[in-house]
Amino acid sequence: MTGETGETPRDPNAPIRVAAVSFLNAHPLTAYLPGPDAALGPRFEVHPALPSDCAQGLADGRYDLALVPVAAYLDHPQWQVVPEIGIACRGPVDTVLLISQVPVDDIERVHLDAASRTSVLLLRTLLAARGVHPEFVTAPHGTGRDRVTARDAALVIGDAAFGLRDEFPVVLDLGAEWLSQTGLPMVFAFWAARPGVLTEAHIAALQAARDRGMDKSEVLARAYREQRIADGHPVLAESDYANYLRQRIRYRLDGFDREGLVEFLSRVRPDDADDPAHVNFLSREHEGVAHARHRRTQPMDATELLARAAAGGRLDLAEGIFLYETADMFALGQAADARRAALHPEGVVSYIIDRNVNYTNVCTARCKFCNFYTPPTGRNKYVLSREQLAEKFAETEALGGVQILLQGGLNPELHIGWYEDFFRWAKREFPRLQMHALSPTEIIHIAHLEGLSIRDVLVRLRAAGLDSLPGGGAEMLHDEIRNRISPFKNTTDEWLEVMRQAHQIGMLSTCTMVFGFQETAEHTLVHLDRLRRVQDEALALPDGGGKFTAFIVWPFQADGTRLKLRDDTSPWRYLRLQALARLYLDNIDNIQVSWPTLGPEIGEVALRFGANDFGSVMIEENVVSQAGAHFMLDAERIEHHVRQAGFAPRRRRQDYTLIAP
Amino acid sequence: VKPDAPSIRRFADIAAKVRAGSPLDLDDGVFLYRYPDLLAVGHLANEVREAKHGDHTYFNINFHINPTNVCVADCKFCSFARLEEGMPAAYTMSLDDVRQKLLDREGQPVTEIHIVSGLHGDLPFAYYLDTLRVLKEVRPDIHLKAYTAVEIQYFADKFELSYEQVLQQLKDAGLDSMPGGGAEIFAPRVRQKICRDKATADQWLDIHRTAHRLGLRTNCTMLFGTVETLEERVDHMLRLRDLQDETGGFQTFIPLAFHPEGNTLAKLPAPTGVDSLRTYAVARLMLNNIEHIKAYWIMIGLDTAQIAQNFGVDDLDGTVQEEKIYHMAGAETPQAMTRPQLIRLIREAGRVAVERDTLYNVRWIDDGEPLPGIRVDASVPYSSHAGRVSLSVTQ
Repeated sequence: MTGETGETPRDPNAPIRVAAVSFLNAHPLTAYLPGPDAALGPRFEVHPALPSDCAQGLADGRYDLALVPVAAYLDHPQWQVVPEIGIACRGPVDTVLLISQVPVDDIERVHLDAASRTSVLLLRTLLAARGVHPEFVTAPHGTGRDRVTARDAALVIGDAAFGLRDEFPVVLDLGAEWLSQTGLPMVFAFWAARPGVLTEAHIAALQAARDRGMDKSEVLARAYREQRIADGHPVLAESDYANYLRQRIRYRLDGFDREGLVEFLSRVRPDDADDPAHVNFLSREHEGVAHARHRRTQPMDATELLARAAAGGRLDLAEGIFLYETADMFALGQAADARRAALHPEGVVSYIIDRNVNYTNVCTARCKFCNFYTPPTGRNKYVLSREQLAEKFAETEALGGVQILLQGGLNPELHIGWYEDFFRWAKREFPRLQMHALSPTEIIHIAHLEGLSIRDVLVRLRAAGLDSLPGGGAEMLHDEIRNRISPFKNTTDEWLEVMRQAHQIGMLSTCTMVFGFQETAEHTLVHLDRLRRVQDEALALPDGGGKFTAFIVWPFQADGTRLKLRDDTSPWRYLRLQALARLYLDNIDNIQVSWPTLGPEIGEVALRFGANDFGSVMIEENVVSQAGAHFMLDAERIEHHVRQAGFAPRRRRQDYTLIAP
Repeated sequence: VKPDAPSIRRFADIAAKVRAGSPLDLDDGVFLYRYPDLLAVGHLANEVREAKHGDHTYFNINFHINPTNVCVADCKFCSFARLEEGMPAAYTMSLDDVRQKLLDREGQPVTEIHIVSGLHGDLPFAYYLDTLRVLKEVRPDIHLKAYTAVEIQYFADKFELSYEQVLQQLKDAGLDSMPGGGAEIFAPRVRQKICRDKATADQWLDIHRTAHRLGLRTNCTMLFGTVETLEERVDHMLRLRDLQDETGGFQTFIPLAFHPEGNTLAKLPAPTGVDSLRTYAVARLMLNNIEHIKAYWIMIGLDTAQIAQNFGVDDLDGTVQEEKIYHMAGAETPQAMTRPQLIRLIREAGRVAVERDTLYNVRWIDDGEPLPGIRVDASVPYSSHAGRVSLSVTQ
């Protein structure tokens, strides 16, 4: 197993040695890869193999890249996975079938025909959920169907399964069964590579080949059918094969597929595993980074940059990185304070009375930094009842509250109807409470769950009573960091797209950053840069468009979470970062301090480092407090702290307009 | 909110005085307290701090012994004291208890014990002398920083001795230096309201004068955030500065923020970040003849203490163990920090940690090595002008 560590020397100019199954469902991913003789760009040399051999060959160094069954990844966490490509399904897949003469509950033995470990584990977990625990025996490839007798069933996968659906009285389609048990897609395979082999060009080529392959479903289906006829095999209609490629299989993995992936990996891996399931996705470079790196080779003058930014001038990415790395703390703070004073000359610091309500703790994303969630199979799961919500909302109104900040986990049991009913009910019963609800991550989840576009989800929820979107789930908007800490959550692009859509239909939203994940200055500034671009787009919308009202940054609270990394999450760094954000985000009006994580004393000081809003009284906050932050303040205390910093406190609404005192 | 043009000119004049090394007066101090641009005041204090100490932030390895909380004084701001033995939570340690406190730390690199007590109505003077003696028996090289001026005043009264006699006997028994507690605010108006049973300002200052004459170094403090005015705070600093001009015996000034829980001043608001930072900065600028300004993290919290290192503070006290006085008043800080935790706090603020003994002899300077027990740390050397933004991982 010398290749296990990925240390086998490799000629960087040689073609990538690829292993892929010859099943029809792999054709769209492999058929249009540039071959070993391609004149330009990355080259690939594809070797056909059975699913299990793809993984084995990658593990022992015979291949550089392989289309591997996802369960193989459990033993090889060092593999790097190509993002946004896979073989997945959402519902029936047609080619992973349990066939039987007797009802599933009566099966005593299952013959495994060419089955990958993934499909066996999937079958085992699906049957176990139904209380069925048969014996599993291996059968030679192609013999499975003949072994189905009495209480003996067979698991048949791949092309051999085509057409079997009609031949047996009992057929369990594992894709359909997974969906009905979990509400999630099933990812069977993805491209995995030995570490360090793939470049961004390879990722781009693999994604381009996939796009072309998906366009050519009919061509691939016809070629496949003709080959089978030439080999003397029985065939289905050409349209059956084409429909299979176009409708059954999902090749473009999005956040929802990743939810399904982590759910699967979490359920099938050994019970004694300490860490949450993790997949090491590769990431692409963000736009503008190459230019910024080049710019950084030339000298810059911090004083000049700060003077420009304090006067409202725009910093570019390279300049932002330079300031974050080198600017003097006081100079940065004073520039941010000057910019804040220019944007908010009245000397007023606003705050809101609202309540943070976490409506459910069930979440499929399993982010390593989160202490709050319970997986869908967890014991302590909850969804707040109407009575519980009504009590919280009524208490909020009684305390002068004007807003509910409603966020929760990605709960596959809650459909869009639940949310619509909830918002309609909330607006009817509590018409004075603004609903600042559902982070982009939740919106994406609902869209996937319902098969709706992001826009349709937003339009429907807005019609039901959703007022504005909070900026949760952003953490660090850079996929290199996201892949490290929350590989199954939405990507940067997906998160930003929700905000873009919300702004387009006229909704306000906020944006956030959590630091302390060992990100570099470049990661941090890319995050700010991407927010600024989305805000530029928002401000260019015709009248009635939405925008980001505020930016909020806070340090990661690591206590008790399963994220092993520890980083500088000091108030010192927080103040630097917030001051820099005030300067860099020249198109976002408000900066909110985050006193719940750092305490009101630092909150006061932060008002001198660019912020003009003291956030909320925070009647309730579950997520952060479970990871170590425990500050609670009432309005009187907030006003005291605001005055201490030399400002006049004023209550505000969700849209940052002030409430008459 | 923004300073007007005359204020900006006045601030520039004060900055020029500071840079020329001229002492500031009462009006200057009050002006700095009121000047709207907090960061400008901080920046100026930081200049002084860096001129004196560069990037060094001092700490020591110490622990506290509070031998009794029985106290005849009835200070309004205190949550620690009990008037009589037998009251709930009242306690008095035996000499064996005191000895055991140190024996429990055998092998630990503690260099100082900080001893502060209540004013107990019944204990003989020998108890206080013996407390020092038993500790010196266990570890002759340990530095005993013990008994505030308020206790010295009480001993002198109760046992009918002069300050000099009290201090000389304690010194002979092992006293090495004195903490700066009990100063509160010197203004009689304030003392009458919050601690009328305590030593007066003149008594407090006279005791420190005497200690300095006997060769004992001492610290000085100010309790802020009760009922005093800004003028009274600055006046307090100036009286300390005058004594320092006379004796040179103060090592460190420690502003103490008032904590309002569990005492009869609980109606007052809790200390605030901006007020604390401004007080450190003003103190650094007013007290040009006192070498060190200390932030007592036990009291203001680790977060504010970290930021204070850029507002004139060059000392973060010690690792401190078993602090009782502030915790009975609602301080929510941990009761102890490990040495690596304290070093990390200092590194993150862009400073270099220096372990000192009580008299500021340097015992160790941070070499940037990874810290045991801290998985990721700020081990990259950097100056205070750089913001360190990415950290190396130590497994």
